[in-house]
Amino acid sequence: MEWSIDNSGPRYTVNFSEKEGLLSLSKLISNGDEISFPEISLSKDQQSGRILVELDGVRSFAHVSRCDDEWWIHFQGRIYVTNMHEPGSKDSTLSEGSLSAPMPGTILDVMVKKGQRVREGQTLLVMEAMKMEHRIQAPRAGEVTEVYFQTGERVDMGANLVEISD
Amino acid sequence: MPDWMINAPTPFNSVLVANRGEIAVRILKAAKESGLKGIAIYSDPDKNSLHVEIADDSVHLPGKSLSETYLNMELIISAAKESGAQAIHPGYGFLSERANFAKLVKDSGLIWIGPSSEAIETMGDKISARRRMIESNVPIIPGEELAIESGSNPLGVLATSAARVGYPLLVKASAGGGGKGMRAVHEPKMLRTEYEAAAREASAAFGDGTVYVERLLTGSRHVEIQVLCDQYGNSIHLNERDCSLQRRHQKVIEEAPSPAVTPEIRNNMGQAAIRAAKAVNYEGAGTVEFLLTSKGEFFFLEMNTRLQVEHPVTELITGIDLVQKQFEVAAGIPLNISQDEIGITGHSIEARIYAEDVSKGFLPAIGKLSMWRPPTTPGVRMDSGFREGDEVTIDFDPMLAKLIVHAPTREAALRRLDTALSEFVVLGVTTNVGFLREVSKSEAFSNGLVTTDYLDNISLEEFKEPEISDSILISIAAGASRFGLDRNLLSVNSEIIDEYSGHSGDPFKTLTRSYP
Repeated sequence: MEWSIDNSGPRYTVNFSEKEGLLSLSKLISNGDEISFPEISLSKDQQSGRILVELDGVRSFAHVSRCDDEWWIHFQGRIYVTNMHEPGSKDSTLSEGSLSAPMPGTILDVMVKKGQRVREGQTLLVMEAMKMEHRIQAPRAGEVTEVYFQTGERVDMGANLVEISD
Repeated sequence: MPDWMINAPTPFNSVLVANRGEIAVRILKAAKESGLKGIAIYSDPDKNSLHVEIADDSVHLPGKSLSETYLNMELIISAAKESGAQAIHPGYGFLSERANFAKLVKDSGLIWIGPSSEAIETMGDKISARRRMIESNVPIIPGEELAIESGSNPLGVLATSAARVGYPLLVKASAGGGGKGMRAVHEPKMLRTEYEAAAREASAAFGDGTVYVERLLTGSRHVEIQVLCDQYGNSIHLNERDCSLQRRHQKVIEEAPSPAVTPEIRNNMGQAAIRAAKAVNYEGAGTVEFLLTSKGEFFFLEMNTRLQVEHPVTELITGIDLVQKQFEVAAGIPLNISQDEIGITGHSIEARIYAEDVSKGFLPAIGKLSMWRPPTTPGVRMDSGFREGDEVTIDFDPMLAKLIVHAPTREAALRRLDTALSEFVVLGVTTNVGFLREVSKSEAFSNGLVTTDYLDNISLEEFKEPEISDSILISIAAGASRFGLDRNLLSVNSEIIDEYSGHSGDPFKTLTRSYP
């Protein structure tokens, strides 16, 4: 299994040495290179969803919960998301130049047309979600090559709204 | 009927809560504690929600949209009739500030837990509220109403008024609230865009696109006074709450007392708030919001004719249960508390926990709360409508919980807040918990110097959470995977079944031995 943080950045593979239920990190590899790491060992806890972490000799609990391929961690008062990947799998990223809906909602206004040149930061569409207006702005300058929605239409999260090419 | 209600002029023994989420839970719990039967209403997505679970009885509202369900006045009245409810508590939001709903409730022979429909109407329309405040000698922000005829081009009138009021200014929906339908305009060329956005938001949210303009007082604090009035003209105030920490006019952290309010300001503002309440013959719990300038002047913003989201901080410093008081006032019981009995004990801070991704411009987040373990420290109160395993959807407001702390001093309350936030385990849905920790520890907030424009004028980089090495997180996740933590999905929130004793929570576990 390969692991990453926030679905971005390098992929890691992990080796533990195991002794009487205690896992100690023994090797961490990213892009074929061995990465240095602090002294860390883990053991299972009585309470479900919790493990005991000993980091550089200091013991504390981590709460961990899996949601699909995401592993959510609460550790030392902070919350993090790590991702599990099948070895060698590709990252699922959107195609270059497309602008997707950051949340589900309704299109209130379409302010650009196909073929129009836009400048960086120009408002392309206005969406409403949770009764608030959100302006969708051009991430960079370019030409609008496609507009997928009209005013009044409902869009799902992640739906491609507009294509912009250089 | 509960004992305390027996001699009430208009007694009732059951209350329907016309709301959902944390506030419905709050009110239903208060009803139960007071010996009243609590009745919930719910639409399809709320079938298994916490407020339905804790209610003594519940009524299903068929329909998909909010207007078919939680905003459906006729349906809610018939739900009350059907379930035998004698009173209706509206909570906040939804129908709480609809004057015609208050009237309909009373006309249907039910008790309305709130002020009269006339009071709601006068205060709900900002223009009529401003006029009433001028008559009652309550200071208001310099501003102007716009005489825009429907169908005419509003921009000419708007531009003239805007020039008279001066920039920067606020275009505000007359029917607005909660930051909706309100836009700041810093220069004339932005007037049209912001006016149109405000009018559009106001039309969508309140069905009324009327706006007015007022001076934008930058560098001011948002300080509000909690008032409590009975049906016999007795009115007291329960001190102030400071809600200056806002993002785009949405409150983020609230506290009481305000670090900027002296006893003199408190007294003057409190008296102004009582005048405001008396001006509309207010009944029950209400909030008069003011802007407090750096010079110590204050101006009326608006009156919220309902229970406020941040009411718990007032409850903690005064020891008064506002929902219980609302029940009593609605039953016609006199206040029986005088102003000099109202004190301030310690300091209280509330942080609003939202399902939102701060790093993506505070986008609402959705998902399943796969782990939800609130802090259990003394001096910490949490009001929430969520439980572990609940789904956070876009159907409703993204507020997950209110974490409220109480401590002897502001410094101690800040430390308690940070500890409580750090101990709150909420996994599966992105929240603003880390952001709240950083903001509450910022120099400006910890020194009590925040003004309402603070968060809008600062780079969010200032509130970045400390980094942790990838290797630690990767090890924990990979280790948890190796331990099979994902295989306990069915027994979340319960102890692992002990393989020797065969039941969970075996008390002898602490002896490291177990007995059959």
